[in-house]
This record gives sequence, C-alpha cells and structure tokens, in this order.
Amino acid sequence: MICFDNLSKRYPGGFEALKNVSFEMAAGEMAFLTGHSGAGKSTLLKMLMLMERPTSGNLLINGKNLNRLPNSQIPIYRRQVGVVFQNHQLLLDRTVFDNVALPLQVSGYPANEIGRRVRAALDGVGLLDKEQQKPVALSGGEQQRVGIARAVVHKPRILLADEPTGNLDPELSSEIMALFRRFQNVGVTVLIATHDVNLIDRMQLRIMRLEGGTMIDDGADYGRY
Amino acid sequence: MAATDRPREAAQRGASGQKIKFADRWRGYKSHHRDTIRISLLKMMREPVQTLMTVAVIAIALALPTALYLTVENIQRLGSNFESSAQITVYVQNGAKPEAIKKLQDKLENLPAVDSVSYISAEQALLEFKALSGFGSALRYLEDNPLPAVFLVQPIVSEPIDLAQTNSLIASIADLPGVEDVQIDMQWLQRLHSLTEVGHKVVLALGATLGLGVLLVIGNTIRLAIQSRRDEIIVVKLVGGTNAYVRRPFLYNGVLLGLFGALAASIMLYLSVVWISSSIADLADLYQSQYRLAGLGFLRFLMLMCLGGLFGLAGAWMAVSKHLKDIEPK
Repeated sequence: MICFDNLSKRYPGGFEALKNVSFEMAAGEMAFLTGHSGAGKSTLLKMLMLMERPTSGNLLINGKNLNRLPNSQIPIYRRQVGVVFQNHQLLLDRTVFDNVALPLQVSGYPANEIGRRVRAALDGVGLLDKEQQKPVALSGGEQQRVGIARAVVHKPRILLADEPTGNLDPELSSEIMALFRRFQNVGVTVLIATHDVNLIDRMQLRIMRLEGGTMIDDGADYGRY
Repeated sequence: MAATDRPREAAQRGASGQKIKFADRWRGYKSHHRDTIRISLLKMMREPVQTLMTVAVIAIALALPTALYLTVENIQRLGSNFESSAQITVYVQNGAKPEAIKKLQDKLENLPAVDSVSYISAEQALLEFKALSGFGSALRYLEDNPLPAVFLVQPIVSEPIDLAQTNSLIASIADLPGVEDVQIDMQWLQRLHSLTEVGHKVVLALGATLGLGVLLVIGNTIRLAIQSRRDEIIVVKLVGGTNAYVRRPFLYNGVLLGLFGALAASIMLYLSVVWISSSIADLADLYQSQYRLAGLGFLRFLMLMCLGGLFGLAGAWMAVSKHLKDIEPK
C-alpha cells in the first residue's frame, strides 16, 4: 500500500530531513513511526500527504508513483488519506458536525449522505451528543476524537496520525488506539507517528525507528498485523 | 491512486467511500454553491460596518461615471429634440421659371432623407418680411423683389444625430439644378455634438479610473478575507479541497460586493434623478418643451448590475490568484 523507495528530502538550505528511506507497508497494516524530535517523522508524514515532494527517490501508493502525480491531482489523492493532527487543526468557528463534514463537502457529497456519514463517524468516537457544539467547548481528548472522526469520515484507505495521544492521559490514549485498531480491522492502513514510549510498549505493533533522517529499523521483521 | 478502478477486496471495504454517483455529485455541487452564497452573505452581515463601507465606496465609484454618462445622454437628447426642428433652407436661383421650380420641388420631395417640403415664393417671402421686420415702407423704394424663393426642407431625423447623413443630404440638394444655396443652422448642433463626444470620452476615462478603483477596493477586501481565513484554507486543502473549492467563497464574496455596490449606486442615481427631474420639468414647461430628464431605466440598471458583478468577480480573482497560492499546508 505504502512504499518508500530510497527516498530523500533535502530542504533549501541543505538540511537533509530524510536520507535514503525505504520501507513498505501492506494494506490493512498498522505501525508506529518513532524517533526523537527532528528525526524526520513529520517530514515522512508530509511526504505521504504530498505537502512535500521528495528530493530524490520514489513514493509509491497502491503501486502508483506519486512523483508523477501533477499538482492538480493532489486534492484528489488527499481524499484517500485521513490525517489526525497533533494540534487537531479543528476550525473553531464551526460546529463539531461541520468540522467532521468538511472532507465530505470538499468531495461533493450530497447533504443527506453527509449527515448520515458524519453521525456514523461521531458515533464511532462517542461524540454523537456533541455535534452542535463548538470545539472550544470540548476537552482536549474530545477535540482529538473530533479530529479522528474527521480523518475517517470519508473512509480513507490510509490513516496517518501525528502524535495523536500527545497530550492525553493513558486511559484516553488507549481509547484512541482502540479506535485506530477498529479502522485497521476494516482494512485501513494506519501509520502513527509518536514518541510516547509507554504507548508503544503497551501495543504489540510494528515499530519503525527514524534517527537523524535515516530509517535505522523498519520493523518489517516484527511480523505483520 | 484510483480506488474505483480496482476490484474491491474484502479487507478494503474502507475504500467504498470513494464512489459517488454523478447525479449525487451534481446535487452536492449545487447545494455547495447555494451554501457558499448563503455563508458569504452571513459573513458579510456579521461585519456590517466593514461591508457597508466597502459597498458604499464601490457604489460611489460606480455612480459617479454613470451619473456623468446620464448627463451626457440627456444633453444629447436635448440636442436631438432641437434637431427635429432644424430645417434646411434651400434658396432657388433668381429668375427660375415656375416649371423649373415645380420640378425642383418634385426632386426635393423624392429625396430619400427628406420628410416634407414646403415652398415659399419670393412674393410670399416679401409679404412675410414686410409684416415681421417693420421695414415695409423702406421696401417700397426697391424696384425688384430682392428676396429669392425658398424651399423649407424638413429632413427625416434619425436618433441619435447623424451629422454625416445630414451633410450628405445637404450636398445632394446643392447639386440639384436651380438651387442657389443651401443653409442649415446646424453649427450649434455640431458644437453640441462635439461636446457630447468629449463628454463620452470623459465618461470612459472616469469610468476606467474608478473601475480600477473598484477592482482594487474589492481586491483588498478579499485579500483581508483570505488572510483572516488562513487556517480554514489550510485545513480545507489538507482534507482534499481543490483550488476551485477554496477559491469559490472568495469569488462569490467579490461578486456579492460588486452587486450590492451596483444596487446602491442605482438607488443613489434613482433618487438623484427624481430629485432633479421635477426642476427640469418646470424649466422645460417654461420653454413649452416636452423635454423630461431620462433616468437609468431598467435595461441600464441591469447593465450596471452586470458590470458591478463582473468588477467584483475580477477584483476577487486578482486577490485570489495572488494570495491563495501562498497558503499551502506546511
């Protein structure tokens, strides 16, 4: 599903964020991406979101080389990826419902379909009763779950999460990981960037380690779940 | 990555979300446009002072050249009113025989641009002169009648004034046998014509300048709107919003501002015309004229609205193409 082939990213100014990174993830696989701050986790996720283009090497999604994807097709590609952001990136002037509906609206879904799917997604994260509230009225964990609902409402094939449990207590973290598990079980490829050691230790999952932009362990021998 | 053209595996049910029927997509598209307009209006109403000020500036910038245009148009109509009373005086050669005069009258009447012809013989002219001038007794000392016979030719008047047509009519009359001279008191009409020509150019220049102003005002308003919605734009782009999707609310915002500006300008002009026209009517009545001030009219109101909308679209487009590119998720 995801295939990094000798991919490097050098920023203007010479900083090399990723050096010859290669790894593969199968469809329906779930893995952690870990490493210190500045090891290249965020850059790797940005590659997958096409927020950045590689300096060299290839990135293949479902067998298609993203290097050949013209910029005009980037939005279409992004509709097949769901992202959970560390700072949740919710729109504070819109209701929870409208925030979650956004990926469907940009794809041109009709209103009744949007309503049905948004409620299903909110039900999945246990926030159905908060749909008319503004994000500021919610707790940190609830905001994060709204972000997750938005990331999965359009049923993406790939789910990326950047520090999804960053500022949550262990109990909430486990809840969120359980949510991710459920998406994995329906065939979504899930990649979670985190340096939350406790979380990694608790979950029996493939772990990819980045250090200074190099993939020092792609965890492929761990076995695939 | 085309999710739709691959056979779906059981484990990939998640990808079924990619399939949207065309009819559904069209319905979604339409309702999205409706929502975009509705939300644009709501956003404008949420900042009433800002919106009103922008609309007022646009309205003034549109109303000024339009008012000048209407003034020029009205002056032109004034000119054509008088032109309809502009007769061509054709002097017959002295000593022309009655048959020749009859022939000339037929020819004049058959000219295509001539509406009517009336004949004043030399004797009639002399009587008229005696009666009107008060020199009657002095004329008795003259042996011959010094006045020539005259045809008064009423040309068919086209609106607006077509000087070239009138001039060619004069030329063809002058070529007729038995014609001594042709006169038309059109110099002041020509001057008026040149003046309205100048007026039209001033309208164009002023319109272009103020139009540019409207573009910049709308462009600046949209630029501010883009900046204040920066976060939203980034999120929309991250969840797969196309550039067209991101652009749309701002373009609608520009069009709405332009339309409201044009509407306000029309109201201003309407009120001004109503206010002025009663005085004009009184003035015209003093001159026994049926002349009345012409306002914007429905057609030109529609044109002004279209123009406002177009200016809004263009101004928004300028701002959007300049500033939206800078906003990419980082």
